[in-house]
Amino acid sequence: MNVMGEQNQERGSSGMGGPPLTDEERTRYQRQLGPGVLTEEGQARLKRSTVFISRVGGMGGPAALALAMAGVGRIIFAHGGRLELADLNRQVLGSEQGLGKPRAAEFAACLRQKNRLVTVEAIDREPDDAEAVALAGRADLVISAAPTFAERLRLNRAAVACGVPLIDAAQWGMTGTLIAVKPRVTACLRCVYPQDPPFEEMFPVIGAISGAVGSLAALEAIKILSGVGQSTFGSLLLIDGYRGHESRMQLQRNPTCPCCSSLQRFSPMSREASRD
Amino acid sequence: MQIRLFISGRNYNLAEGVPDRLTLPDGATLDDALEALADVLPEGTRLPASCLVAVSGRHCGTVGSHEAERLRDGDDLVVLAPVAGG
Repeated sequence: MNVMGEQNQERGSSGMGGPPLTDEERTRYQRQLGPGVLTEEGQARLKRSTVFISRVGGMGGPAALALAMAGVGRIIFAHGGRLELADLNRQVLGSEQGLGKPRAAEFAACLRQKNRLVTVEAIDREPDDAEAVALAGRADLVISAAPTFAERLRLNRAAVACGVPLIDAAQWGMTGTLIAVKPRVTACLRCVYPQDPPFEEMFPVIGAISGAVGSLAALEAIKILSGVGQSTFGSLLLIDGYRGHESRMQLQRNPTCPCCSSLQRFSPMSREASRD
Repeated sequence: MQIRLFISGRNYNLAEGVPDRLTLPDGATLDDALEALADVLPEGTRLPASCLVAVSGRHCGTVGSHEAERLRDGDDLVVLAPVAGG
């Protein structure tokens, strides 16, 4: 079922209720409040929302930055390792001063500096199956910006299990793709990728494309969480920056998908989970 | 009939020089198009089975597993090698 372009609705814990915006918040976000952007209630929903992002490098970093600046209330991210010089062509949350330091702490500090009103939780490792489910369960939305399909599919399973929207942002070289998944309504990543695509550790990347795709992932998240605008659930956006081509394909669910079909009940220890 | 062809995603550089249109007999199917495409790929390259295929914006599956699809003149065929960079 394709629901691309559906009008967004309130959802989950980011729905009605909770504290209104403060005067400081109204001032801070005034340029994104009004016709064609967010309503005050939409902004308040962002404030009440939690987004879980794994990882916050070339794409997840710009996504996290945009979400923090937009006023998402809580950002939980996972990113391990130490910052390397070769990260700095794209990882906007890093800096030369942070080289050699743990990425999680550096990136969290960067986000907090951008907006002290946002709560940032940093996890300095790749979540395993159980942790991914636990984190997705705390979130209103999951952004998958991981460097491997194994991790992307793990996040997909967790999001489907928890019934939480997933946005998958991916890139190679000067190309990028963006998929928004509404669990059990639109195609999940396993529907789209029935076979595990090949793993490539040292993929090429231009920071401009990863930044663009990450920013678009954040925009989708903002629309879904705020209930404003039209989501692109059920479609894949392809941006080929190398040749200046963009296209969109309407994705189809796999009725026998081992992850999201109605016959499946998720378990972190299921055969589907162990295959990755 | 002619269809427009766009190959992208991982290793898109390997498809440089591949024509952006394929001429096919009337009534050709997606399988026919993929066979014709294989013939014009650079020597030593092939489309991985995991590549997504879409006809005029409609996702049909992958190169390795897709629906039977009859093509029409002017269709757009997109072949996308999955990307996972973060």
